[in-house]
Amino acid sequence: MKEFQIKILASDKLIYEGPCVSVTVPLSDGSMGILAGHSNMISAVKTGVISYKTAQDAKSEKVAVSAGLLKVENNEVLVLVDAAEKAESIDIARAMRAEEAARAKLLNEQRKREKMAAEADLERAIMRIKASNMANTLHHKN
Amino acid sequence: MANANEIKTRIQSVQDTAKITNAMYLISSTKMQRAKRSLENTRPYYESLLHEIERVFASADDPESKYFYDPDKKNPDNKVACLVITADRGLAGSYNMNVIKEAERMFREHPKTKFFVVGDYGRHYFDRHGIPYVKSFDYTANVPHIREARDISDVLLDSYDSGEINMVYVIYTVMKTAITSEVDTIRFLPFDRGDFMSSEEKLKKELGRFEFFPSYKEVLDNALRSIETGFVYSTLVYSFCAEQNARMGAMDSANKNAEKLLAELRLQFNRARQAGITQEITEIAAGELAQKRKRIKKQNEEVETS
Repeated sequence: MKEFQIKILASDKLIYEGPCVSVTVPLSDGSMGILAGHSNMISAVKTGVISYKTAQDAKSEKVAVSAGLLKVENNEVLVLVDAAEKAESIDIARAMRAEEAARAKLLNEQRKREKMAAEADLERAIMRIKASNMANTLHHKN
Repeated sequence: MANANEIKTRIQSVQDTAKITNAMYLISSTKMQRAKRSLENTRPYYESLLHEIERVFASADDPESKYFYDPDKKNPDNKVACLVITADRGLAGSYNMNVIKEAERMFREHPKTKFFVVGDYGRHYFDRHGIPYVKSFDYTANVPHIREARDISDVLLDSYDSGEINMVYVIYTVMKTAITSEVDTIRFLPFDRGDFMSSEEKLKKELGRFEFFPSYKEVLDNALRSIETGFVYSTLVYSFCAEQNARMGAMDSANKNAEKLLAELRLQFNRARQAGITQEITEIAAGELAQKRKRIKKQNEEVETS
């Protein structure tokens, strides 16, 4: 399978830069898979899980990301997101606590702005848990 | 002249204060270094983001977004909001007052300005002087974090999206050199398209067109929102660095002042001590002399009687 270059850059750190054979990115209307030779494209990324394979037989890496931008140009993929966390560095217990806290806040909160913030927190927490779970089940298969 | 004991307690208290100011000086310098480092970490991201935005523009003939400044629009100043970045605490030289002066100028120009104040110092000042500001907005100026910056820019963007405000300024402080800083007011929203169009013509030639997914507008708005976050973050960090720098300056002069004061007080103390000793010696000597005279007198009297 053909390789292409990918760079995932969060606002405070570089997540991954290097070769990749396939990547799946959450966009505003569903996930999109990208392989080598994809046409040039710029797209809006939404909060979700990015998964990529660095080689054909490698296990796929999971990264929980928040909203941002995706660019494919001349067989190079660039992902720019506000925040990102690799599945293996996600503290699942912490993410679960964050989820619970966000849910509790969502129930009690009356103000619109706070409610929206809690919703965003909840979404991020769920994505982190999802990314972490996906990575763990893959471990079992291998 | 004050007595030696009084001067001694005074010296002690000056020394204690100097210890505090010295510690504050060190804390400020490490805090500033930390903030600068975290700003450095975010730089690659924002540079690529700005670069990509240029490309987005280059790919469309007439980019349009509600976040763009439209010079033709009449009376765009009627719903002004202003983000004011002050420190949480004082003891930072003129740092806070400079920002507040600028905010007051803005208040005089646009009396209906909605103020969003970062930092306790500014909020207290606004409270004391009866300047209205948005109470629910209570972010601290302490060690800026990207998450806070995102929240702040979300608040501003949401008000902007809902039409509550249509012009946003930021008043912040930026360090010009290692010693001087300057208060700066810039328009945060809407964007000036010109800011991104530096090399557009050139890019247009060398680039093929991009496909936009799901739509050009959505991509652009999304990217602009991310840019805003970065923008808020950098103004927060610049202000924080300037604050720490101002505090370092203030504490440094406090330290120097304490040294001068201590030297003076020590001199006074030694003089007072010496004066005390001299006086005691005089007293002893005088006492001794008196005793001697008394003894001689007594002896003479004894000789006379015997």
